[in-house]
Amino acid sequence: MSLKGKLALVTGGGRGIGRAIALKLASEGADVVVNFFRRREAAEQTAKDIRALGVKAEVIRANVGDQAKIDEMFDMISNKFGYLDILINNAASGVGRPVMDIDVKAWEWTMDINARACLLCTQRAVKLMEGRGGKIVSISSLGSFLVWPTYAIVGVSKGALETLTRYLAIELAPRGICVNAVAASFVETEALKFYFDEMLNQANLPLTPAGRLVTPEDVANVVAFLCSEEAFMIRGQTIIVDGGFSIYSPLFSLKKTD
Amino acid sequence: MTVEEQIREIIARIVHVDKGVITREATFKDIKADSLDIVQALVAVEETFGIEIPDEDAQKFQNFGDFVSYVESRVAQKERV
Repeated sequence: MSLKGKLALVTGGGRGIGRAIALKLASEGADVVVNFFRRREAAEQTAKDIRALGVKAEVIRANVGDQAKIDEMFDMISNKFGYLDILINNAASGVGRPVMDIDVKAWEWTMDINARACLLCTQRAVKLMEGRGGKIVSISSLGSFLVWPTYAIVGVSKGALETLTRYLAIELAPRGICVNAVAASFVETEALKFYFDEMLNQANLPLTPAGRLVTPEDVANVVAFLCSEEAFMIRGQTIIVDGGFSIYSPLFSLKKTD
Repeated sequence: MTVEEQIREIIARIVHVDKGVITREATFKDIKADSLDIVQALVAVEETFGIEIPDEDAQKFQNFGDFVSYVESRVAQKERV
């Protein structure tokens, strides 16, 4: 797999899963634009680590929940590079609340960043992919179909993202653009610590047949594959990266047989 | 309007509280602001004053007074440049 000479934009690429994706794409040869919103230091560090791999890195601040900021970000990419090959819709936010406590403000904030941004970024990205094709991968979550405590708004936004992925995959196929999503279970990042305490995290380990929790690198490896020509025939899918968590029944004993 | 008055107005609007409760000693917790209120207030202040307030800096604010002092110094810094 080589992404040499390709240009990728990773939204929310400064830390967590986004950082791992940015570094993986860079290690495959892609130049990477790292978008961030709240943590400049982390994004600058990621860009520095990308440059150390011998490719170009740019840092762009934008709240992808704000259409004007998305436009500014793409104007900058357009002016500086004039093209884009890979878009990774990774930036996410959310408010942890029971469904009955969700208000309009929390709903709009989460949906705008997690779902609407996928649409708006894709619309702008496609113009920069004109005549060259491209790859678009959006990061979802198992919470789109599993029910987790206080995860409702984020889960709903990820459901929208996955459906949008299918529609985009078909509509953009004639333009040579592959669109897919990757959904992970609990990934060890700062965001996980924000939403769920360590106890819950540990409780999930015995339910993961692969024997460990998902790392950001596990997700990044699949994203990079979807960005390669080898994955050309995969369209509109949400690939699950969870070590078997979502299909495992505790009825099975996972004890090794001799 | 001073920087302090502008920030107080922004926070009062976002958190839906009376401006009177936002004293210099008040914390976000005191005025019952949740994490979304805080990030929206930071973004609104950034846009009003044309500055960037990274979370790394915002986490150091102990109360409203600290927030105001930080923005005042950043605005002054910006004007010097």
